Amino acid sequence: MISLWHFLIVGAVLFGLGLVGFLTRRNMITLFLCAELMLQGVVLNFLAFGRMHGSLNGQVFGLFIITVAACEAGLALALFLMLYRRGRSLDSGLWQTIREQGVPPAIDTEPLPIETEEPHPVLPVTGMKPGVAPREREVTRA
Amino acid sequence: MLDPSSPLGLSLIAASLPFFGAVLSAFLGCTRFGRFAHLPAIISFASASVMSAIVLAGVAEGHGSLAITADLGTWFSVDRLNVDFSFLLDPLSLLMLATVTFIATLIAIFSAGYMRGDSGFARYFSLMGLFVFAMCLLVMANNFFILLAGWEGVGLCSYLLVGYYYAKPSAAAAARKAFLVTRLGDVGLVIGIFLLWQAGGYHTRFDSLFEHIAKHPPASGTITAICLLLFCGAVGKSAQLPLYVWLPDAMEGPTPVSALIHAATMVTAGVFLLARCAPLFVMSPEAGLIVAIIGGSTAFLAAFLALAQNDLKRVLAYSTVSQLGFMFLALGSSGAISPRIAVVAAMFHLFTHAFFKALLFLGSGSVMHAMGNVIDMRKFGGLRKLMPWTHATFLIGSAALAGVPILSGFWSKDQILHSLLEAGESHAKYHTIYYGLFAVAALTAGLTAFYTFRAYFLTFWGEERIPHEAHGHAHESPRLMLVPLVVLAAGALLAGVIVDPLTHWFGHFLERSPSIEHAHAGYLAHSNMVETAHGFHWGVAGLSTLLALGGIGAAASLYRRGGPEKVPEGLKSLYALSLNKLYVDEAYDLAVVKPAEMLAATGRQFDAFLDAIARLLSYAPRFLAALLRPLHNGLVQFYALGMVLGLAVFITVVVFRSAR
Repeated sequence: MISLWHFLIVGAVLFGLGLVGFLTRRNMITLFLCAELMLQGVVLNFLAFGRMHGSLNGQVFGLFIITVAACEAGLALALFLMLYRRGRSLDSGLWQTIREQGVPPAIDTEPLPIETEEPHPVLPVTGMKPGVAPREREVTRA
Repeated sequence: MLDPSSPLGLSLIAASLPFFGAVLSAFLGCTRFGRFAHLPAIISFASASVMSAIVLAGVAEGHGSLAITADLGTWFSVDRLNVDFSFLLDPLSLLMLATVTFIATLIAIFSAGYMRGDSGFARYFSLMGLFVFAMCLLVMANNFFILLAGWEGVGLCSYLLVGYYYAKPSAAAAARKAFLVTRLGDVGLVIGIFLLWQAGGYHTRFDSLFEHIAKHPPASGTITAICLLLFCGAVGKSAQLPLYVWLPDAMEGPTPVSALIHAATMVTAGVFLLARCAPLFVMSPEAGLIVAIIGGSTAFLAAFLALAQNDLKRVLAYSTVSQLGFMFLALGSSGAISPRIAVVAAMFHLFTHAFFKALLFLGSGSVMHAMGNVIDMRKFGGLRKLMPWTHATFLIGSAALAGVPILSGFWSKDQILHSLLEAGESHAKYHTIYYGLFAVAALTAGLTAFYTFRAYFLTFWGEERIPHEAHGHAHESPRLMLVPLVVLAAGALLAGVIVDPLTHWFGHFLERSPSIEHAHAGYLAHSNMVETAHGFHWGVAGLSTLLALGGIGAAASLYRRGGPEKVPEGLKSLYALSLNKLYVDEAYDLAVVKPAEMLAATGRQFDAFLDAIARLLSYAPRFLAALLRPLHNGLVQFYALGMVLGLAVFITVVVFRSAR
């Protein structure tokens, strides 16, 4: 018989994995996946407790969280795309230039490689020759 | 709606024309036709002058009261304070309108030559138009609020024009002084207006206001207070003791502006105000006496100060103060004698003074133009061969100011002296004091002749000396500047004799003014005197002729050969007093400016102290922030770790609490 405890343990494991992944990885897409993992662990808790109490509140919450997570995914991926175009890398440590003034930068001993391959062609404005997207300004590693 | 061809309509159009001229001048100044900016001003003044002359010719004949009023809608209405755009055409306002626009036209023509090539050419003429418009508004008003609007407009324009050379610190200071000192009087004026409004049954229009006061006279203390408060405004605007100090400094502006301020638009406003309020002043002999005493002491003091000034324009400025004192002397005697005599004498002097003072100022402008902007009489002299036209017109103006018989100044000054003598001979309350004032006025007339001709001889007689600032090409002014001089000289010669002593037209016309009629009725009700015929008094005329010729003779004997200054032994100390302007500026500086500065300095120190406390408080959050600032290092994982640690602490606390 699967009891409430089983659900909670699976949820806690999901949350813990997500947490550890979030703290240790630095690829932004991985970070995002880990955050989703934590979210799903929480959703599992909601569902389990909802079932225990025999109410639909937990499930409604779960549905809401999934919806919000979907929106969040769209937004986050769009942001990553923009960041990637600027920095040619998914390293989250690349963006530590937004830190407070006067705080010394953290030194990255093994940075992720910066992709240098040609970007994909983009659609030109009507009536112009197709070309290559202008190379974005590269963000130097601090 | 008002018919534009009716007398009132026509004069309102005349009054508003300078405004449109000002707008057009300003507009031209923004385009590349800036050098034609004088045309709108001259044309609008001239057509306004012609229009008011037409109106004057239309209503000049006839008898009985002449007052045309019109309400052009409501300006504002608050509870019992209902103020309309109400205008009044009566002989008083019409004469002022005609004088102001006529003199302004000539000054504008002169300015076109004087200001040629100046960088602020358009600004000058646009301000001048605004100045004249404000004065016209002031004289055409039928309630105190429109009058006040014009009054303040005149003050503003005088500030802007005196400070015309705003890059020059002394001009900026003079403009500030003119504005602040006149403002001191304006405070009294505004209080007086509201007190009068309350005492006058909450009416605002002049006619109903004065009628109400005549029917329900308030307590004599109230009426005296109102009169003195109104006079307070006039003291500021018309440069009387103790607020006269701004006028001599006001010549920091271009010389034609001084002519405008002294002759037409600014300082006459106070005299006009008191003439307008004559019905109030006949009700309070005390107020009339105070007006006369202030006028008399101003006239004498300013004449004394003018004796030793080295600056030609400053001599003229003090002479204006002195002549305004004469006008107030006449106005002040209106309680003791019929206002038909007193107010008419004051207005007549205002009228003739406008001619010869504008002439003298424009003449000094012409001298200044030739001498490379030098106006110190010690630096030039003997100009009569070099500038024959300026010399001749200046001589006529000086003679008129000195009161040489036949010239315009003689008749008006004579009327004032005569009315003072009559006030002394009357059986009014304070008639003996008027005898004293008569003596002061006569003495002042002698001094006037002396200082005017001292300036004249120092400038035009003796050997020819030209300052090196003139760069060797000192010359007679261009014809454009000479024409106004000649016209004004003709006015100074003949205006007086034509309008009053021969025809008595001026007096009879002015008597039809409702203000003066009301005042006369009030005078008859308040004094049990029978009306005396006011004729020409040979004794007074002889005395004033004697004094004028004596003053001129003294000046001639001392300065006939031009400079340098010759002071008889024994008068050295008096001369030093006059030269240093009785140390009035220094005394004001010590009594008013220095304490104010000290107060300001103390306030500044206190403010700095409060600032220091506030700054100390603001350091507290900044200090806290400095502790926390290293946490913001821009690493996402670091923030996440912070959150996780926080979560861990939170969960630990929750678990341990629930376990307990």
